[in-house]
Amino acid sequence: MNKSCHSGAGVQMSEPVRIQTGDFSQDEEVAALKGSSKRMGGIGTFLGCARDFSEGRAVEQISFDVYGSMALSEMQKLRSDAIEKFGLLDARIVHRIGSVNGGDNIVFIAAGAEHRVAALEACRWIIDELKQRVPIWKKEITPQGESWVTAHP
Amino acid sequence: MIKVLFFGPIAAVSGVRELVIEHTPGLTLGSLKESLAAEHPGAMRLAVMMAVNGEHAHDLALPLADNSEVAFMAKFSGG
Repeated sequence: MNKSCHSGAGVQMSEPVRIQTGDFSQDEEVAALKGSSKRMGGIGTFLGCARDFSEGRAVEQISFDVYGSMALSEMQKLRSDAIEKFGLLDARIVHRIGSVNGGDNIVFIAAGAEHRVAALEACRWIIDELKQRVPIWKKEITPQGESWVTAHP
Repeated sequence: MIKVLFFGPIAAVSGVRELVIEHTPGLTLGSLKESLAAEHPGAMRLAVMMAVNGEHAHDLALPLADNSEVAFMAKFSGG
């Protein structure tokens, strides 16, 4: 189990659900997930990144607003729901807030199960549900000005 | 007192992030929404999601207890 601290957020890496301003390490997250069980035969991961182009405009930066306490509790519920629904051995969800540049990491999801189907399906389900349930808003900063993102395909 | 929270696009349009509203007997989520819409019409048009004390709320008839925290929220765009 990885017990190192994340310098950016001051949160222990062992916490499986986090909201933080700093970047995350996929390797550390996967290592922490694997550390929870040796029965894991498959791990599905999703990495969401900031695009530098959206709706025909260059995007210089993305900044986030968040209802912090609710977002964290919704993400924790989402993890528990996914573990129950797909019979996962463990799952981790990390979302960044603050400001990020094009190409930067935004969100990381890892789902570990005995077999690949549950791991992959859970990963897809978690990111889709996160977009519906978790109170986080994205603002795109472009050379033409700033605009809040209202659609999320 | 009822604490009303605005975030993201709703905070940007209304120019406020937090309001304190006096609690009145019989206050519901719907009646609070209506009174806020009169004061912040542009912002409240974006309010498609609601939360009471940090939990999703969908029922406009929900009675609001004194000292509740209510968030009116635009469509989420995280992830």
